[in-house]
Amino acid sequence: MSPLFLFLSFVALLSALGVVLAKNPVHSVLFLILTFFTLSGHYLLLNAQFLAAVNIIVYAGAIMVLFLFVIMFLNLNEETEPHKPALAKFAAAIAGGSLLLILVAAMRNVNPVGYDPTSFDSQIGMVDRLGLVLFQQYALPFELASILLLAAMVGSVMLGKRETGERNF
Amino acid sequence: MDQTIPEVIRTVPLQYYVFFASALFAIGVTGVLVRRNAIIIFMCVELMLNAVNILLTAFSAYRADPNGQIFVFFIMAVAAAEVSVGLGIIVMIYRNFQTTDVNLLSRLKW
Amino acid sequence: MRPKPVGATFALQRLLVLLRSNLTAMLLVLPAANYQPSDYLPILIQFGLALAFVAFAMIVSHLVGPKRNSTVKDASFECGIESVGNARTPISVKYFLTAIVFVLFDVEVIFMYPWAVNFRALGNDGFIAMILFMFFLLAGFAYIIKKGILRWNEA
Repeated sequence: MSPLFLFLSFVALLSALGVVLAKNPVHSVLFLILTFFTLSGHYLLLNAQFLAAVNIIVYAGAIMVLFLFVIMFLNLNEETEPHKPALAKFAAAIAGGSLLLILVAAMRNVNPVGYDPTSFDSQIGMVDRLGLVLFQQYALPFELASILLLAAMVGSVMLGKRETGERNF
Repeated sequence: MDQTIPEVIRTVPLQYYVFFASALFAIGVTGVLVRRNAIIIFMCVELMLNAVNILLTAFSAYRADPNGQIFVFFIMAVAAAEVSVGLGIIVMIYRNFQTTDVNLLSRLKW
Repeated sequence: MRPKPVGATFALQRLLVLLRSNLTAMLLVLPAANYQPSDYLPILIQFGLALAFVAFAMIVSHLVGPKRNSTVKDASFECGIESVGNARTPISVKYFLTAIVFVLFDVEVIFMYPWAVNFRALGNDGFIAMILFMFFLLAGFAYIIKKGILRWNEA
C-alpha cells in the first residue's frame, strides 16, 4: 500500500468534509481548492500527468476563482449564511451516510480486474498520446464541446448583462 | 516494451479507488442535502463531478486505456459551462431577491 | 610578470565541467519517451522548500519584529481620515462577466494543448477540426464584443 495514496486520500476526504461543514463560504472554497490539489496529486500518482496539470489550471485556477469571486461579489459571510433546521441536517447526513454504506456494500465483493503486466502502458496519460486519441476518435464530441462553450458564453452574457439605464449593482 | 509500472498501480488495488471515489461522491451528496446556500450546493456538485473524474482516471490508468481520460476532459468542459451559467443564474437571483437561500427560491415564481 | 594562477583556474574549470556533466546527467537521465510519477519529485521538493520558506519567514518576522499596537496604528487607513463602513462593498457586474468569459476561454485551452503537440501528426483533419472549434469560440467572442462586455468606460 502506497503511503502517498493513503495520505492524499485522507487529505482529500477531510477537506471534502470541510467543504460541507465550514460555516464561512470562503472557507468552503478554500477547502475545495485543497481537495482539487490532492486530486491532482492522485492523477500524478496514476501517471495521468496532463490531467493533473489541467485539473489545476481549470478547476483550481478558473472555476474556483469564479466561485470565490461570486462569494465576494454577493458579499456572503458567516452571518448571512442560511441554515436548515437541525432535524433536516441530521436526516440529510443519515441519507448521505446510507448512500455511502450502500455503495461500499455493493462494491465490497466486486474485484475489478487490475493492471495487466503484459500489455501495460504507463504513457497513456501524456499529452501527445491523449491528443491523438482526442482528435482521431473524439473529433465530433470535441466540436460539440465548442458549441457548448458558445452556448454557455451567450447564456451567461444574456443573464448577466445589464442594459443601459438599468441598475448596475 | 520496457516500461516500469507506477508504484501506486502495482501496490494499491483498483477497488480502493472505487471506495475513495464513493466516499467523495457521498460527501458531495450529503453537502447538497445539508446546505441551503446555493453556491455551496454548486461546490458540492463539483465535488461529485470530481469523484467521477478520479474514478475514470483510475480505471483508465490501470487498464492502460486512454478513453477514460478523454472523458475527463469533456467532463471538465461541461463543468465549466455549467458553472458559468449556474453562477450567472445565482447572481441574477441574488440581484432580484437579495438571497442565495434555495428554500426561499422553491416557488419558481414571485 | 606575475605567474598565472594556474591552480585556481584549473580547479574552476574542473568544477564547471563537473557541474555541466552533472546537469546533463540530471536533465537527460531518463529517456524522453518514458515519464513516471517519480519524475515529479524535484517539483515536490521545490513546493516543500517554498512552503518551508514562507512558514520560516512568517514565524521569524513574528518572533523578531517589534510589536507596537495602538488604535491609530491598527486603523485601516493611517492618513487621519476616519474609516467608515465595510471594505467589502458590492462591485460592478462587469467584473463578474469578465471572470465568466475567462473561465470559458480557459477551458478552450485544455483542448488546444493536445492539438498543438500533435500538430504535424494530425495533419489536415486536425487543422480543420481546430478551425471549426475556433470558429464557434470566436463567434462567441464576437458576440461578447458586440454586447460591449469588455467596454469599461460607459455606465
